[in-house]
Amino acid sequence: MDDTQTAGGPPPPLPIPDNFPVTWENPADEMAFWHIDPVHFPTTVTPAMEIFGDAFTKGVDRSLGAYEMPIRLQHRRINTYFYMGNTLAVPPDQLEAQGAKAEARLKEAVGAFPDRWDNEWLPEVKEHIAFWDGFDLAGASPEALAAHYDETRERLARLWDIHFLLEVPAILSMSLFDEVYKDLLGDEDKLASFKLLQGFGNKTVEGGHVLWGLSKQALKSDAVKSAIQDHPNGEVVAALEASEDGRGFLVEFKKYLAEFGQRTDVFCELGAPSWEEDPSTPISNLKDFITQPDRDVEAELAHNAAERDEAIADARAQLAGYPQAARDQFEFLLSRAQFGTRMHEDHNYWIDQMTSDKVRRMVLGIGNRLLAAGSVEDANDVFYLTPDEIREAAVSNGTGDRRTTVTERKAEMEHFGAIQPPPMGTPPPDGEPTDPMGMAMVKFFGARPQESGQSGVVSGNAGFPGKVTGTARIIRTLADADRLGQGDILVTTTTMPAWTPLFGTASAVVTDAGGVLSHCAIVAREYGIPAVVGTGNGTTAIKDGQTIEVDGSAGEVRVLA
Amino acid sequence: MANLEFPWLGEQGAHDARSVGGKAANLSLLAADFRVPPGFCIPPTAFEALDLDVSAPNPGTGDASYWDTGAGERFAALIGAAYSDLAGKTGTPEPGVAVRSSGIDEDGQSASLAGLHDTFLNVVGVHPIADAALKCLASAFTDRAVAYRRDRGIDERAAGLAVLVQHLVPADVSAVAFSADPVTGDRSQVVINANWGLGESVASGTVTPDTFTVSKASKASKALSGTAVSDKAVMTVPVPGGVKEVNVPKMMRSMPCLNEGKATEIGQLAVALEQHMGYPVDVECAFMGDVLYLLQCRPVTTLG
Repeated sequence: MDDTQTAGGPPPPLPIPDNFPVTWENPADEMAFWHIDPVHFPTTVTPAMEIFGDAFTKGVDRSLGAYEMPIRLQHRRINTYFYMGNTLAVPPDQLEAQGAKAEARLKEAVGAFPDRWDNEWLPEVKEHIAFWDGFDLAGASPEALAAHYDETRERLARLWDIHFLLEVPAILSMSLFDEVYKDLLGDEDKLASFKLLQGFGNKTVEGGHVLWGLSKQALKSDAVKSAIQDHPNGEVVAALEASEDGRGFLVEFKKYLAEFGQRTDVFCELGAPSWEEDPSTPISNLKDFITQPDRDVEAELAHNAAERDEAIADARAQLAGYPQAARDQFEFLLSRAQFGTRMHEDHNYWIDQMTSDKVRRMVLGIGNRLLAAGSVEDANDVFYLTPDEIREAAVSNGTGDRRTTVTERKAEMEHFGAIQPPPMGTPPPDGEPTDPMGMAMVKFFGARPQESGQSGVVSGNAGFPGKVTGTARIIRTLADADRLGQGDILVTTTTMPAWTPLFGTASAVVTDAGGVLSHCAIVAREYGIPAVVGTGNGTTAIKDGQTIEVDGSAGEVRVLA
Repeated sequence: MANLEFPWLGEQGAHDARSVGGKAANLSLLAADFRVPPGFCIPPTAFEALDLDVSAPNPGTGDASYWDTGAGERFAALIGAAYSDLAGKTGTPEPGVAVRSSGIDEDGQSASLAGLHDTFLNVVGVHPIADAALKCLASAFTDRAVAYRRDRGIDERAAGLAVLVQHLVPADVSAVAFSADPVTGDRSQVVINANWGLGESVASGTVTPDTFTVSKASKASKALSGTAVSDKAVMTVPVPGGVKEVNVPKMMRSMPCLNEGKATEIGQLAVALEQHMGYPVDVECAFMGDVLYLLQCRPVTTLG
C-alpha cells in the first residue's frame, strides 16, 4: 500500500473550463478520469456514435470482467467529443488481490487466444456479418427494422466483447515478449524484439498491397493511367467508365473495395462514408503509387520477413545454452506475440471496420426513410440523431421533422471542433504502471511525452529504427493526404489502418499519439520506414515544409531548416 | 620422449595429483564413481615436451598462423584430437568447455591457487581452446602469482601447473548442496541452494537462490522437507564466446527452479558423496534436462 495516497486521499477533480461546460449525470462520474484517446478519437464524433459507445462500454465490461481485471473503461460523449473514463471494478483496497486474479487469467488467455480466435471468435464474427448482410434494409417493415436495430446493438456489444477478449491478450503477449527478450538478450537496442515480429503481413498491409497491384495494372494502359492521373479524385470513376480498359480496371478496383473498402478515414465514425461509398482516398493513393513504377512492395515485405527470420535465428543461437525453461518461455511468447501482432491489425479489419460499416449501413437505411419522408435533407443527417431518436425514426418509418435538430447538432460539433477538449474528472495518481497489462498499455498508447529539452528537437517513442531526412508534411486528415509527396515525412496526430497506403509514399512517419505497439508503429515496421510515435506535439512543433531528420531508434525528430 | 597423452577424468592417469594437479585429480577420482562432465588434462610435461614457450604471454592471440607451424601446430593437433573425442563423449559437435588451471602444488584440500589463475568459460573450437590453455598457463607467471608462490615457499618454476579442459554443461539449474547444514551444523538434512543457469550466480552470491532441504534419513524418491522460493533476479548463462549474467524472465523468477524429485536426487547425491568421502561435503552440481552432473566436491569447512 502506498501510504501517501491513503493519507492524502484522492486528488481533487479537475476544474471545468468555461468554454467546455459539463454536468455529471451521475455524481460518481466525477471521480473517474475522463480523457480523449488521441490514438482513436482525436476529433469530434457524431451523436450516432453513442451507438458505438454503448456497445463499446458493454463489450469492455464483459471482456475485462471475464479476465477479472480490476479496471473498466466507460465512454461519454461530452461536448461532441468521445471521452473515455477509467474506473475501478473493485474498491481500492481490493485492487491488489483482484490484480493477482487478473494476472492468472491473462496468463491463460495469452496461451489460449490464437486458438480461440481461429476456432471460436472469427467464425462468430463472420456469423454476425452474415446476419447483417442477410437483412433486407429497404424492404423491412418499421417493426422489423426497429427489432433489427435493437438486435444490431446487442450484436455490436458482443463484437466489442470479442474485440477485447482478443486484443487484451494480443497486446499483452507482444509486451511480454518484448520484456522476455530484453531480460534474456539485453535491452541495448530498444526495438530489437520487434524485428522478430515483423514481415508477416496482415489484413491492413494486404489491402495496401492489393492497391499496389492495381497501380501496376493501371500503368499498363495509357487510358487507365490518364483517367487516374489527369482527373480530380471525384471524377476518376467517371473517367474510367469512358474506356474499355478503364471499365476492366473498375471491375478489379470494385473487387478491392468490396474486400477492403469497409473502412472510413475516421476511426469507427458511423457518420463517415466508407471507401466503398466514396473511394477518394484509395484513388488518391493510386495516383501516388503510379508515380513509383519501379517499386516492389512484395519484395519489401519478403525482405522484412527475411530480416525477421535472421533475427530469430540469431536469437536462438544466442539462447542455445540457456536453461530450457527460459528457452521455452521465449519460444512460447514469440509465437503468441507473432500471432498477436497480426491480430492487432486483423481485428481492425474484422471488427472495427467491418462491423462499423454494417452498423453504418443499417443507420443509413433508417436515414433513407427519413429522407423519403422529408424529415431530413440528406440521408446522412441521420447520424446527427441520438440512438433513441434513430430508433424512433425506424418505428415511425422516417416521419417526424428532424431538420432543426440536425442543424443545431452540426453547429454544436462545429463550435466544439475548434476547442481543444480538456481532460476532465479526477486524474489518476502519477507514476508508471508496473503490472504487466498496465505496462502493455503504455506501449500501445505511448508513455507520457517528455520535453526533449533541446530547441529544434521533438522527442517521442522509438517506433522503427533508421534515420531519414526529408520535407515535413503536416497531414491531419486523409482528405489532405494528396499533399504528401514521394519521400516526404508524414507528420500527423495519429494513423489508423485507413492511413496504411500512405506508408508506401512517406519516407518516415511522426505522430502525436501512440507507443511502440501502436498501429502506426506496427505498420511502419511492416513497411520498414523510420517512425517516432507519441511526440505529444509533433504536429504543432514541426511546421509544414520544414526539413527534418527523423531518428527512429532514438525516438527523436530534429528540425534542420 | 616425454609422455604426450592427455589423460581423461576418471582414468588412472588423471588420478595422480602429482601429474595433473590437485583439482583435476580430485575430479578424476570422483569421475570414476559419479557422473562428472567429461574432460581431459594437459600435464606440465606435455608443455615441456612440445617446447612451448609458456612464459611468453598469449602466444596464439591475434596471430592465427601461430597454429600452423612448429610447437603451435603440434599443440593444436593434440588439442584437436582430444576435442573430437570430447565431442563424441558429449554427443555435441562443438561442445563448450571450461579451461582452468590445476596446480601441482595444490594439495586439493587446503588453500587453492585457482583464484590467481585465469579461467575461461564456454570456450568453443580447437584454436580458442589451445589459446585459452596457453593463457591459463601464462597466468602462472603474473607478478601476483609469482609473489604468492614465493611468499609461501612454493616452487618458483611453472612446471607445477596443469590445465584442465572440461565440458561446460549448459545447465538448466545449478546447485550447491551441503550434506550438513553449514550454519546450524544439523547433520540430518541436506541443504540445497539452487538457481537457473550456470553455478556462478549461486557461488558468487549475486542472487538469493532457492533453498531446499532434503531429509537424509528418507530413502523415498521424494524427500523434500522444506522449500524457500526466492525472487531470483539474475542467472548466469553460456553465450557464444563466454558466459553472461542476464535477467531471469519474470515468469520464472518466483518459480521453484527444482521440483521435489530433482531436489531429492541432489540430496541423495550429497549423501552418497558424504559416505564415499567419509566427511560432510559441499557439492556443486547441475541438471541438464533430467541428467544430474557432479561438478565439484569439497569438505564442509565451517563445521565445528
